[in-house]
Amino acid sequence: MDFNWVNFVEQLVNGLTVGSFYALIALGYTMVYGVLQMINFAHGEIFMIGAYSGLFTMNRLTDAGLYERSPALVIGLTFLAGIAGAALTGITVERLAYRPLRRAARLAPLISAIGASIFLQELVRLVPKISAAVTGIKIGSWQVFPEAFQTSVNKIFLDFGGAQVKTYPGILPTGGFEIGEITINYSRAIILAVSLLTMIGLYLLVRYSRLGKAMRSVAEDKDIAALMGVDVNRVIMMTFLIGSALAGLAGVLMGMYYLQIRPVMGFVPGIKAFTAAVLGGIGSIPGAMFGGYLLGLAEAIGVQFLPAVYKDVVAFSLLVLTLIFKPTGIFTGYSGQKKM
Amino acid sequence: MAKLLTLFQEKTSRYLVNPWIRYGLIVLVLAAVAVFPQIKFAQSAYWVRVIGYTGLYILLGLGLNVVVGFAGLLDLGYVAFYAIGAYTYALLASSFFGNHLSFWVVLPIAGLLAAMAGVLLGIPVLRMRGDYLAIVTLGFGEIIRILVTNLRGLTNGSQGMVDIDSPMLFGLQLKGATHFYYLVFVFVLVTIFVTTRLNHSRIGRAWVALREDEDVAQMMGINTTLTKLMAFGTGALIGGLGGAVFAAWQRSIYPDNFNLYVSINVLSLIIIGGMGSIPGVIVGAFALIALPDLLREFSDYRMLLYGLLLVVMMVARPEGFIPSKRRQLELRSSEPDEDEPPPGSAGDGEVAP
Repeated sequence: MDFNWVNFVEQLVNGLTVGSFYALIALGYTMVYGVLQMINFAHGEIFMIGAYSGLFTMNRLTDAGLYERSPALVIGLTFLAGIAGAALTGITVERLAYRPLRRAARLAPLISAIGASIFLQELVRLVPKISAAVTGIKIGSWQVFPEAFQTSVNKIFLDFGGAQVKTYPGILPTGGFEIGEITINYSRAIILAVSLLTMIGLYLLVRYSRLGKAMRSVAEDKDIAALMGVDVNRVIMMTFLIGSALAGLAGVLMGMYYLQIRPVMGFVPGIKAFTAAVLGGIGSIPGAMFGGYLLGLAEAIGVQFLPAVYKDVVAFSLLVLTLIFKPTGIFTGYSGQKKM
Repeated sequence: MAKLLTLFQEKTSRYLVNPWIRYGLIVLVLAAVAVFPQIKFAQSAYWVRVIGYTGLYILLGLGLNVVVGFAGLLDLGYVAFYAIGAYTYALLASSFFGNHLSFWVVLPIAGLLAAMAGVLLGIPVLRMRGDYLAIVTLGFGEIIRILVTNLRGLTNGSQGMVDIDSPMLFGLQLKGATHFYYLVFVFVLVTIFVTTRLNHSRIGRAWVALREDEDVAQMMGINTTLTKLMAFGTGALIGGLGGAVFAAWQRSIYPDNFNLYVSINVLSLIIIGGMGSIPGVIVGAFALIALPDLLREFSDYRMLLYGLLLVVMMVARPEGFIPSKRRQLELRSSEPDEDEPPPGSAGDGEVAP
């Protein structure tokens, strides 16, 4: 069998698309690690909630008949809802599960994060069930909520979770353009463009804005930052907000690209994105972007030679190898030089 | 609630100092556990199975407790060792390959293989902080599950391994819940004895030192590499034994028996009971494994509740319900760390500078 170059290059483009998702999610890990030196285990679930919030909003607006009138508005609001849902979840988790433990022994916030991750995943899985249980509540034999109310509420929440796969409507354009023999799908190009632009924006924000400066100072030393008049709690909250918003964006994009979402969808991309963050050097923002694309490419190349089921094994092995040989990653982040 | 519990502990611990009460209580509990399957009541067979199963989780909890509780290394892929033990027994004692080794021969092999896997996993993460360790072990658990599902020639994939031999003990074929209830009981007793002795030995003290401050431990002349690997190896060994017992009991195993939720269950029961505390493991297992069987209509909400419990416990009572004294002190007081501002300064609570 001779080597198929066209196919190979197309696979690489595919790898870059998947890498965009990893990079967007990895940014959240790396930013939180930068300021708190902890791994936000619930980050994969925040990404998943972004995807669900987007779908939920989109279906509501489509039901209202808005999609026929203005598809662009609906798509815009879908992204906005996904980003807002994820950001809200992120700051809530930070406030309730991490902030009370900021001074605790090291194991405590880690376990709390794992708990938050399980909780969020199960919550989304159980939303329809919880909604049915709450609306169906009875006092004696008296139904608290009328039948019609029950069905309409349950119908709405049926969209926001459940164990079954939910399907995004296919709105990304099909087809593609050609460069020589190579075909590049529009959907992949769009995802690449959107994520690259977002990441450039983030980089500029952290590099040049007042907030970015505050974030870097908190990452450097919380005490001194506080003495210099930085509101440490607010900066940490903003870090969670921005990181989660990026994950929410990735969630909606991934939903539109793969069309299927499910409550466990955050787990594997979460670990992969973490791998990407470590690969690039945890704590470093360019590192996370670079690591994400590198991992996407590595997987795309890996599946050329290995059965596709071992794709995850490739990523994990890469993680372990990085941790053994270059634990600070390719780029050293603004907190990378601190203890591993 | 938390205050009441502490008060209750203070009161009871005063009585437990008395050796007569202490050992009397232990003997009483042991006798009750030993007699339980002989008492016949409605659904007694069902309860023997549930408690036997809880015992299996106590065994796993004791193993993970060595890693997480004693040495303070967060391992999220504990199920991998359980799977290795189970598949080792299935490969060496079933009709799949036609090997029919005795359970008692396979048992040490399963334990050793799991321990080796534990040490192998431990080596790359030796220099890592807890967070990295957690995620690498999580990945390891997943890799083992992926391998078990996909190496069809070796494990029969998702069809699982069936027709696994029952162990023989002095001519008696061990079969059914009651036999395994006693087998698990013996395993748990031996493991409690061994881990308690380990905890009070030189290596146990080294684990404590490692957990409290790695740098200081190293300065005190502790070989941190060896100490960590010992913890991984011991924990994995116990997990492997548990897996072999599980395979022998079920007589058929599937990759789905070894998903992430097993690791989460075991971790949760340690944390609820109290990290580093052996009575805590037992109480935790009964609370998380046996109790949900009573409330089966809520079984769907089980993992939701576990997740919530982990967060709430960490915020409100990180030392668990039956804490080990030392762990309580560690988890309650803040870790002196140059990265952290002293309590009361900026970043603490609502007051912002």
